[in-house]
Amino acid sequence: MTKGDEEARSSSLASAPLMLDVHLDSWLREFGPRGSETVDADSVEHLLDVLEKRYPRLRFKIRDETGHLRRYVRVFVDGDDVSGTTGVATSLRGARTIDILHSIAGG
Amino acid sequence: MVGDNKLRILVGTRKGTYIVEGDARRTRWKVGPAAHEGSEVYHVVADPRHPGDVYALVNSWLYGPVLYRSRNYGKKWSEIGTPLMASTKTRPPKFDGNPDTPAPVYPVANLWHLEPGPATEPKTLYLGADPHLLFRTTDLGATWEPIPGINEHPARKNWGPGAGGACLHTILVDPRDSRRLYVGLSAVGTFRSEDGGTTWTPTNKGVEAPFLPDKFPETGQCVHDVAADAADPDTFYRQDHGGMYVSHNRMDKWVRIGKPLGDDFGFTVASPRAAPGRAYFIRLDGKARVTGEGHFQVHEWNDRTHTWRKLLPRTAFPGHFGVQREGIATDDLDPAGIYVGTTTGQLFVSPNAGKTWHQVPFQFPGIHSVSISNPAKRPRRA
Repeated sequence: MTKGDEEARSSSLASAPLMLDVHLDSWLREFGPRGSETVDADSVEHLLDVLEKRYPRLRFKIRDETGHLRRYVRVFVDGDDVSGTTGVATSLRGARTIDILHSIAGG
Repeated sequence: MVGDNKLRILVGTRKGTYIVEGDARRTRWKVGPAAHEGSEVYHVVADPRHPGDVYALVNSWLYGPVLYRSRNYGKKWSEIGTPLMASTKTRPPKFDGNPDTPAPVYPVANLWHLEPGPATEPKTLYLGADPHLLFRTTDLGATWEPIPGINEHPARKNWGPGAGGACLHTILVDPRDSRRLYVGLSAVGTFRSEDGGTTWTPTNKGVEAPFLPDKFPETGQCVHDVAADAADPDTFYRQDHGGMYVSHNRMDKWVRIGKPLGDDFGFTVASPRAAPGRAYFIRLDGKARVTGEGHFQVHEWNDRTHTWRKLLPRTAFPGHFGVQREGIATDDLDPAGIYVGTTTGQLFVSPNAGKTWHQVPFQFPGIHSVSISNPAKRPRRA
């Protein structure tokens, strides 16, 4: 997503509720929503706060006790992986779809 | 639930939890389906005060540490309260060299060992975790309290991890006085508390730290495992990075017993209820970290005669086997059963204190831990 795309999306949706379509990895569905979940949030941190309030067993599964994403959790905002960049501070203004997945890891 | 009279081997592996049911002779085994599939399980342990209760310490590569309990010997599992560090929004700072700087808060990396409390405190559990943390619950895991005497010990800033992490892996409660506690911490050593965990004294005198300039420091020894003698609560058997030791005085002083074996490296030790004065060690090659004799072997220490005995013939199970710190267990029957899980997934059993051995006919994933859920009513003699 380019900066121009983000600005255009932000301006067109500036006053609209930030309703996000959230999908969780099959591993994390054990602790959270089984299907897609609709959440109103303006940042990844806010989104995770809301999800953890609705599904208390998700607490500390996506973020550790310091509030940072766990090592192998990947958060995609409209298809862009923000885990290694802006992380939980990522703004969700204008975003539509959030995927919380696990990275290619293990053995 | 009401406990039944089966003996079970509880197995924690790299890929999940397994419950193995035995027959009365401890020679035929039924392996149940895996639970916590795909996750590292560092310890599975029964609570003998509540027959049927089994705890699994699951450390998921994805979602971190989670504590599970079953109330029916592993048929169904439920997540219970997982002890963690206090939440913080601040990333731990790098140590700035100032000894007055408070110790940083790190997230819990792994759950290592759960120890049920004494019979007189039926709702008390202790749990050891990485980084060098001890927790206690008095409501069977609904809530946990950190033990600041060890978790905020003044020397903590000098503590580092061992190869397996900064694990607090050994917790022992004196059966005569539940205020006397012992813990073992990798790359730090053992400590004793006489006041229920408020204060702790290092107890490593006599234990060599071959990897440090000072070979006999107060702390810094890399203890791998400690077992208490079943008949004498003042006697302990210790497998350390620096060898095999015994203490007869509540860990005040340790005496090395492993030198006659040559390389006395290893990770684990157990001492059975039915054989006071005996301890079972798995001697490993200090470099390769596998059984160095080219076959599976268990060494029995007789603390009364001060002699060693090999329990297996060379031809029984040829190969190089790794065994981790929770990899050996003994049951409460007479004669004692000995159970050993390997890092390559073999589970070896002796139902008669080492006289004969067999392998459970199932290839497990790499085994982290083996422990025993004893029959609710113990037969006099199996």
